[in-house]
Amino acid sequence: MTDVEPLAVTPALEAHALSLVREGSRVLDDVSFTVAPGEIYALLGGNGAGKSTTLLTFLGFLSPSGGSVQVNGREVGADVAAARGAIAYLPEAATLYGHLDAYENLAYFLDLAGRRVDRAALEAALDQVALPPEARGRRMQTYSKGMRQKTAIALALLRDTPILLLDEPTSGLDPVAIDEFHAMVKALAAAGRTVLMVTHDVYGACQVADRVGLLRGGRLVGSFEAGPQGRIDTETVHAAFAARGAS
Amino acid sequence: MSLVFRIAREEWRLWSRSRVVVIAALTIAVLVGVTSLLTARGVADQAANRTARQAEAEAAFFAQPDRHPHRMVHYGHYAFRTPPPLAVFDPGVDAVTGQSIFLEGHRQNTAMFADARSGADLGGFAALTPASLYQLLVPLLLIVLGHGIVLRERESGTLAVHLAQGQSGLTLMLGKALALAGVGGLLLLPVAALALAAIAGGEAPLAAVLLVGGYALYLAVWALFVLAVSLWLDRRSVALGMLVFAWLVTSLVVPRIAIDAASAAVEAPGKIESDLAMLSRQRAIGDGHNAADPAFEALRKQVLDQYGKQDVAQLPINWRGVVADYSEKKLTALMNEIAEDRMTREAAQSRVVTAFGIVSPALALGAASRALAGTDLATHHRFLRESEVLRYDFVQALNNLHARALTYADDAARSSDPEAEARTRVSAKAWSLLASFRFVPDPASARAARAVQPLGLLVFWLAVLCCAVVVGARRLRP
Ligand SMILES: Nc1ncnc2c1ncn2[C@@H]1O[C@H](COP(=O)(O)OP(=O)(O)OP(=O)(O)O)[C@@H](O)[C@H]1O
Ligand SMILES: [Mg+2]
Repeated sequence: MTDVEPLAVTPALEAHALSLVREGSRVLDDVSFTVAPGEIYALLGGNGAGKSTTLLTFLGFLSPSGGSVQVNGREVGADVAAARGAIAYLPEAATLYGHLDAYENLAYFLDLAGRRVDRAALEAALDQVALPPEARGRRMQTYSKGMRQKTAIALALLRDTPILLLDEPTSGLDPVAIDEFHAMVKALAAAGRTVLMVTHDVYGACQVADRVGLLRGGRLVGSFEAGPQGRIDTETVHAAFAARGAS
Repeated sequence: MSLVFRIAREEWRLWSRSRVVVIAALTIAVLVGVTSLLTARGVADQAANRTARQAEAEAAFFAQPDRHPHRMVHYGHYAFRTPPPLAVFDPGVDAVTGQSIFLEGHRQNTAMFADARSGADLGGFAALTPASLYQLLVPLLLIVLGHGIVLRERESGTLAVHLAQGQSGLTLMLGKALALAGVGGLLLLPVAALALAAIAGGEAPLAAVLLVGGYALYLAVWALFVLAVSLWLDRRSVALGMLVFAWLVTSLVVPRIAIDAASAAVEAPGKIESDLAMLSRQRAIGDGHNAADPAFEALRKQVLDQYGKQDVAQLPINWRGVVADYSEKKLTALMNEIAEDRMTREAAQSRVVTAFGIVSPALALGAASRALAGTDLATHHRFLRESEVLRYDFVQALNNLHARALTYADDAARSSDPEAEARTRVSAKAWSLLASFRFVPDPASARAARAVQPLGLLVFWLAVLCCAVVVGARRLRP
């Protein structure tokens, strides 16, 4: 199924008839969707559906076997550096460096990315993700999963890129942390950032996303957007997700 | 460049915060330190000791009273091989071959006084030389430190973040390589210190610098291998297992196989067989102590003809001395032939072992290290040849004295006539015919020439591994 909605502006992210063969097996098959600037798009799917693969394709780590992927209207393969420069990526289960504290972690990644930020900017970003101040000077190996995730998000924020790719950002977080996280993602989108996040969590996806794409076996088998009540209907999506064997 | 340095610095910070790494590094540092000190002390003792013993042996020879020259032939003399300054780092074959020889008439003795005694002195530490520590243990430290250098980041997802930030795989790998190089450089400090001490002790700078360079090359090969494995494999435990396996094979198994292959490829007759062959040919030469031995019949005719005499008693020279001189010459030619044959075989075996350096950097480095330190087999062989020349010269000088300074009549009557016996004693002044002997190492250029091939093998490995790392870095994916 493809997005038919005509877009006035250049999409921040666009997959067009994307297919990908990995070690002989077809992992993505004719996947098309777009994410507009400032939009939150959730890619929902079970294990092995091809969600992480889709993100890696936008980053240019995997090249499409067919179709195309574009970032800000430019073919990723034509200018990988531009695509990566526009995107902050949060990998699945990112743990950053356990032997460094939050400041050291952020400073190191930003140094390598060529961004100079001062201590105040680091504090501001950590405030934004609500990492407890007393934890910031501790080595990250002592952090809980939620604290690690928050630090990783702070890094993505500090990169100050227009696009965020988040791979299962809420898996392993407690419900309160998930709510906090969703609130933050919404605030970011409101400030103009484009978010493409990947998740198994039907409820969370419906809560946070403007649109939800359902991926199964490498094919985009459903696309949902908010109804008149302003919310994507969780029941409908859940039913589609659970309908194994359909298409 | 500053990025590369920043990446390396982060790696150093990680290691400095890891207890395992700090303990492993301290253990190696203490081992290297203790071993260097003990070896240095041992070798310095030996050097002083052997130089003193050489002088003592000469003084003892010169101090012999007036005697029959042939008794001096059997009194004998010692030749000592003083260890070169770099033996402090790599005693090489010294411990096995022995470093002194008893020189006497009619025999080529084997070298003796191997290090077994000094090993007992130092509580067994002497067998662990700085060279063997570097060849064996330091790669293990690099494995412990470096097997996860890329995989750790792959498994924690930080690699994905870096690459997604647009970092190039090559820059990351350069940083990691620099981090390992820093450790290697630190580990080389003791070698450099010992090399400097050797230079201060009279060693040629070329040899000392090449020695340090050889070890640097070896550590670089291991560091790049560790990096390449961490880069190409996708699980840390597998990488560690594979590295340890490679270490076992190249450092312990291949050297063992190389020695077996060398003895299989180059047949060397055992001592008993060669002694028996020697005895039968020696019998044909005749016993130099018995001037009436039929083996000297032809010589007798020839000498009598030369002087136009009918009987040996009429000769102007002492026939017994002539026989002693002649049989020593023949015997020495035979002994040299056998010794050269043995040394040729040993050298061929050593070449086979070194050729295995193509699959074992430890073997290649060992060969280069011994050659540069002047403690290799070639040096030992030169010592054997030079001490043989010393032996032959003084024995023949004594035989010459025997032939010219003693009359045949006195010599023949000396066991029954005390006056004749007194006349066969030569003045002790004559013992100064013994040349003074000081074994010196080969010039640095000759040692360097012998080290070129094994060092070339290390350079080959370095090039192969560089390619593996560069190719892997270019296709690095999260
Ligand atoms: N490195 C790889 N090489 C070959 N095939 C792979 C590789 N990684 C994943 N795949 C395959 O690609 C398909 C999609 O994998 P992907 O990781 O994108 O799934 P996912 O939707 O992210 O699943 P999950 O929810 O478990 O993270 C799977 O069938 C998987 O087996
Ligand atoms: Mg995934």
